[in-house]
Amino acid sequence: MTALAELVKRPPPDADPTQKLRVRNVAIAVGLAGVALVAAALVGNLLVASDDAGVDNLFWTFGVSITGFATLKLGIALVLTGIVVRLWMRVDAVRAALPHLKADSDPEGNVQYGNIETPFGPGTLTEKAPGLLPPQAMARIMWKPMILMGPMLVLVGLALSFATTGADDPDTSQALWAWTQGTQFLGEAMLLAGISFLLGTILAGLREGGGEVQESLGLAVKTLRMPTSAKFFLVLMFTGLMLGIAQFVLYGIAAYVDDPATWFAWLGPLRELSLGILLSGIVLALFTIGTVLGFQHWRIRQIIETGR
Amino acid sequence: MATATARADFKIETSTRSLGYNLPQRMGRLLWFPMFLMALMFFGAGMVLGIVRADEISDGGAADTIATLQHVQAGVMFLGFASVFAAISFAIARILGQFRAGGGEAQAAARRSVETLKMPGTAKLFIGLMAVALMTIVVASVLHLVFAFDIDNTPASLADAEERFIVLEGVRRTGVAVFLFAILLGLATIIRVLRFQAVRMRELPDEEPTL
Repeated sequence: MTALAELVKRPPPDADPTQKLRVRNVAIAVGLAGVALVAAALVGNLLVASDDAGVDNLFWTFGVSITGFATLKLGIALVLTGIVVRLWMRVDAVRAALPHLKADSDPEGNVQYGNIETPFGPGTLTEKAPGLLPPQAMARIMWKPMILMGPMLVLVGLALSFATTGADDPDTSQALWAWTQGTQFLGEAMLLAGISFLLGTILAGLREGGGEVQESLGLAVKTLRMPTSAKFFLVLMFTGLMLGIAQFVLYGIAAYVDDPATWFAWLGPLRELSLGILLSGIVLALFTIGTVLGFQHWRIRQIIETGR
Repeated sequence: MATATARADFKIETSTRSLGYNLPQRMGRLLWFPMFLMALMFFGAGMVLGIVRADEISDGGAADTIATLQHVQAGVMFLGFASVFAAISFAIARILGQFRAGGGEAQAAARRSVETLKMPGTAKLFIGLMAVALMTIVVASVLHLVFAFDIDNTPASLADAEERFIVLEGVRRTGVAVFLFAILLGLATIIRVLRFQAVRMRELPDEEPTL
């Protein structure tokens, strides 16, 4: 995990951009391992359906499937750390190239700082690069604990799923099965929150890097204001994470109730809803990244063509 | 007119102006939002169905109604997951489109020859696996809905319904795993595109401007 944290540190400005990142191939291998786990669980399900294995095997196939999903999400998180590193190399490359590419222009006279309109939405014009937005600063800190805790919870849940498979007493089985589901889906929610925070870290890098490049050229700094999609992303992310925690607590109650079938019938959809909302937030985060990239390319073109 | 060349470990196309978005990227720009909205609707409906089913169980409802609701709820919820994963994939395609179109426009603005990365292998696999996974989840979800209305209140029919549910559960989980892997490959493609952009930007100052 320390090595992972090192990976998202900014590379030195003279880092060789032609060098390949090993993390990309490692992430693909991790992803393949995740697919293999889910495929193994599928075989288990088929054996149960054909009466070649007992129904209690469905407990471990559930545990292994969710662990497979978590492994895939871990792979995705690894790729995102690679993107963060690559974005900094791109910033350094643009900063090195732009002084030689931009048009010669007279110094700007009376610059009107403040709010501006851009083809990609409202922005600001400032003398210096603006700092990070509070959610971006939080994202830079929070992705690490989330990515650390998520897989741990999923593995605890996996162990519980095997314990459920071997449990004879109905009360023990009910309690173990409830904790299996609650724990594994809390782990999944934390992993998705970690991925969301990594996307926030990418947005932070884009904002910081864009400002840094413009400031280094002695230009007024144009920055996009937080797009509406980013605000909805935050709402969905926190709602999804809160539901993930809520379903864990509720499964803890369901472990000891008299009518577990009723509780499980609505807790199953609730835990899926929490992941669905987190994934919906990720859609909006990716959309926001696309918008910010479009703005950055527009600004680079503007600097090259006008020198301002 | 674009010409295809290969240099170092990048396969590129050279042109005089930006090549703009390719077909998957145009689709991504168009389809991410409808998919996103559909996902939210399916998730909401799936949750409501779950509550209805819990109510049936609590009230001691008929076994065939409870089994029917189990299939319908799973089918609807996983249509939501298929939609949200599709929306994520389209949003990634949109990002790749910004790199392709924006990178080309920046080179053209600098009056240098425009070099565009040809579609990497990971991007082709991303599209292929996304299509396979989407079909897998959608077919499994539709089968849930078909089987839901083929359940009678007899032990044999209820046992069949349970067996079908177990098989479809495994199939849709596999679809989700393949979808996640496709998304991983889409994001891995961004790493490659970023590497190409960093290399290309550093080359531009040393090149002679074109007319």
